[in-house]
Amino acid sequence: MFDSLHPLITMISLAIFGVALLGVLVKKNLFKIFLAFSVAESALFLFFIGNHYTPGLKAPIAADGITRFDPAFMVDPLPQAMILTTIVIGIAVSALGLSMVIRYYKLTGHMRIDKMDELGEEQ
Amino acid sequence: MNLKRTLRVETLLVALLVSVTTLVLMQILLNLHLAGHSLGDEILHINAASTQSANAVTSVVTYFRGLDTLGEVSILFLSIFGVALHMPRGSKNLFSYHNTLLYIGVSILFPLMLLFGVYVILHGHLSPGGGFQGGVIIAGAFLLRFLTYGDHYELKERVVSLSESLSGAGFIVLGLLGLLVGDRIFTQILPLGTLGELLSGGVIELIYIFVGLKVSAEISLLAEHFVKAHNV
Repeated sequence: MFDSLHPLITMISLAIFGVALLGVLVKKNLFKIFLAFSVAESALFLFFIGNHYTPGLKAPIAADGITRFDPAFMVDPLPQAMILTTIVIGIAVSALGLSMVIRYYKLTGHMRIDKMDELGEEQ
Repeated sequence: MNLKRTLRVETLLVALLVSVTTLVLMQILLNLHLAGHSLGDEILHINAASTQSANAVTSVVTYFRGLDTLGEVSILFLSIFGVALHMPRGSKNLFSYHNTLLYIGVSILFPLMLLFGVYVILHGHLSPGGGFQGGVIIAGAFLLRFLTYGDHYELKERVVSLSESLSGAGFIVLGLLGLLVGDRIFTQILPLGTLGELLSGGVIELIYIFVGLKVSAEISLLAEHFVKAHNV
């Protein structure tokens, strides 16, 4: 159907990234801001994986009758491995950030970013 | 009236700026020529000779970029360490209710999920999956137990920390053995086997077993810290 999925995937991932950016800029809740960062990460994953996929090629796995590795009918395994690393790091970052949000809520009783004045009180 | 007008002008300016930036960014991204298949071709060509692993993505993650995976695992460990430092485990669970349906379902599902996680870890070099994915499935089984049993269930600190530290140490020792025996870190020190069998791929399967143990221990510990954050 498509010769290359590049324009479609670029537009979709840019739209998802725009939604996430809007969430980061507009939302006041710290929890929602961190979740919007996760959504932005998933837009990045979609951009990378989708743009290195060519329609008609198979996964780089020698199974179901395929016994040899040939780039003529297999997709590039390198971006998938990179994105696997990125997903794990994204989990680590969001876990640390959300735990800090919980800690902030326990300390102050709110998690609204427009009511943060801890530094102002100290001055 | 005057205030309203300035606000409208500002909004218009911001909207103009955002749309221009979006158009420029989309133009750049649409005309981006991604380098197709130069390094990936070579990896696919030498994969059968150097690893005999049926899954090329797995051999990239564990063999060609093994040091990078070590760094990734240590980032995960540091993150869990930070969470455990400033969010100590309380004794009260957030989900302390009794639900018989959930109880029966989890007692059926828990061993099956453990088995499926071990299967995904062990077949990482044959099919999609591997240490990270299987480890997260095992951690999901433990998360279901936290949801069901409430305050009466907690992970044994000793077992979790022992499995986590032993698997991390095994991972590093495997890399150093490759450095001693071969010419680089995480090189092949075991017989390769034949493509497509369970005992193939040499060192890849051992690396993924260690990674799976470590990830399952870490993520289930993380789930426990979040579930028991009630009285931090």
